[in-house]
Amino acid sequence: MSKTIIGLSFGNTSSSVAIMKDGVLEVIANQDGDRAIPTMLSYAHGDEYYGAQAKQQLVRNPKNTVAFFRDFLANSYAKIDVSANHRSAHPVEDSEKLVAFKVVDGESEHTVSVNEIVVRYLKQLHTAANDYIGKEIDGSVIAVPTNFSEQQRKLVAELAEKAGLPALQVINEPTAALLAHVSRPDIDAHANKLFVVADFGGTRSDGAVIAYNGGIFTILATMHDLELGGRDLDEAIIEHLAKEFEKEYKVDPRKEERAMAKLAHEAELIKKTLSNSTTTQFGIESVASGFDFSGSLNRLRFEMVGRSAFTRIGDFVKHLVAKANVDVLDVDEVLLVGGTSWVPKVSSVVSGLFDSERTVIRSPNTDTKAIDPDELIARGAAIQASLVSNFDAEEIAESLQPVVTNGPHLAKPIGVKTAEGVTEILAINTLIPIRKTISIPAEGDVLIEIVEIEREIKVETVKPEPKAAGEDEESDWSDDEDEEYEVRSRVVKPGKTLAQLGITANGKADIVVTISKDLKMQVAARSGSEHVAGTV
Amino acid sequence: MSLPALPRDWNKSESFKAVASFTTPEKLAAEPVGPGFLGHARRILRNRTFSEDER
Ligand SMILES: Nc1ncnc2c1ncn2[C@@H]1O[C@H](COP(=O)(O)OP(=O)(O)OP(=O)(O)O)[C@@H](O)[C@H]1O
Ligand SMILES: [Mg+2]
Repeated sequence: MSKTIIGLSFGNTSSSVAIMKDGVLEVIANQDGDRAIPTMLSYAHGDEYYGAQAKQQLVRNPKNTVAFFRDFLANSYAKIDVSANHRSAHPVEDSEKLVAFKVVDGESEHTVSVNEIVVRYLKQLHTAANDYIGKEIDGSVIAVPTNFSEQQRKLVAELAEKAGLPALQVINEPTAALLAHVSRPDIDAHANKLFVVADFGGTRSDGAVIAYNGGIFTILATMHDLELGGRDLDEAIIEHLAKEFEKEYKVDPRKEERAMAKLAHEAELIKKTLSNSTTTQFGIESVASGFDFSGSLNRLRFEMVGRSAFTRIGDFVKHLVAKANVDVLDVDEVLLVGGTSWVPKVSSVVSGLFDSERTVIRSPNTDTKAIDPDELIARGAAIQASLVSNFDAEEIAESLQPVVTNGPHLAKPIGVKTAEGVTEILAINTLIPIRKTISIPAEGDVLIEIVEIEREIKVETVKPEPKAAGEDEESDWSDDEDEEYEVRSRVVKPGKTLAQLGITANGKADIVVTISKDLKMQVAARSGSEHVAGTV
Repeated sequence: MSLPALPRDWNKSESFKAVASFTTPEKLAAEPVGPGFLGHARRILRNRTFSEDER
């Protein structure tokens, strides 16, 4: 009997569970019909609520509603940032100097450690997944941010086990997202590509530059901004609404916690609606001093009030690319992940950083076949879950040893000279050992010259063509018209020669390059019955 | 795209010439995720080459 292993995306803001069932990947919906399940617990009248039902309690019962706790795992109270927690239960320091929450659970007040909160929340997800799948769940693959420490990963696995979801493997979120993306039926899973994965969540932004060569993912750089996320867009709308309310009723809603909770609730709805429509109406009952508040907001206005967050999102991606020591022109695809990636302005800001002829942007606003950005991580974790579901713990541990994961990666691409220039066979950052075959049209006695490839970013300054007389007068922005501008292009050319082969070809030649564990490169060429090979 | 003709001065008795080794590779950590990695792990752990792995 094969085991039932779920993929789990455990976010600060929301979580998702996916499962591969009979070869079909599904993201489960809980009893509220949610696939992105708010990572929240709430206590009222002796009952525990989770997900959307807990989130609803933020207005009426914020002190007993625990939210934004995942990142507190294995952190001392002294070190945590509580700015996301000011409209829900406040974190307190427990006897071990770790983080806890004070909630009225039943009749009396309890101090519940963050570990206990996590177990309780994961138990709720476990039950929801059980109900959906209709089978007992044997385990999980859990995705966490790349900057989670070993200690945090161990703790997550331990707590998941307590919740009945023993973790077979704890993997990185951007890798999980990318695995889901390259598993799309319309994507060539064998093509070598350089990816930027940018994950804009609720409370944080995470990015990774990942080489995907020979079916292997290698992280080249990561970046994190723990103070940038969808929450900042909500805050911008909240502030806008508060100002409008104050203008209309001469009452400052900022002074009332409950008024602000109502505005926060509405602000997020407005933001989400503006991902699909260009304008939206809102109506909130009894915001402050008994005044109802209604109005409308359009996307352009939203983009204006959220401008500073959008600018930071663009800068985040720019710095991430720079940190990997690559050029934007080297990037094949940008995968946008996280709920905030639904926002059209996020994809347009990111698209603006890249050359549209060179780089494909994967987001719902730029790619009709894009997987929902808030489902990518759970889906990838579920794919990994299905891959390891028949392994035992020992086999998995064995494959995680450094002798397996740490390996030499090519410092330069390797290719073959052609009549037209050079064709890549092995990309830069390919894990060794590797074997790759390519076919090239060839006729008669041909030379197969295996070379390293040098890439160069050419920057040309272009002067606009002088205008014909009279043309200038009609121009509205004559100031920029004559200014020089830069055109950047990526060029590749053959570098150091590694080997040369001569073969008599009829039609085409198949070239196989193999690099072994001991760093020997073997080149073999075949055409019809002719065969040549050698080792460098 | 096509392969260039063999230069005139190419010594036909010699069909393979090793010229130089590739630039020293860099040690990096591969992500232990996906079918590609599982294949890699299997080959490393069982000490198999690509062709042995296919049999
Ligand atoms: N359709 C949408 N349009 C705009 N924003 C959305 C949409 N759907 C979700 N969001 C926002 O996405 C954020 C949640 O993102 P995600 O589900 O990726 O959370 P997460 O990974 O748990 O976040 P965190 O960064 O806190 O760990 C919230 O701010 C939410 O308002
Ligand atoms: Mg996230």
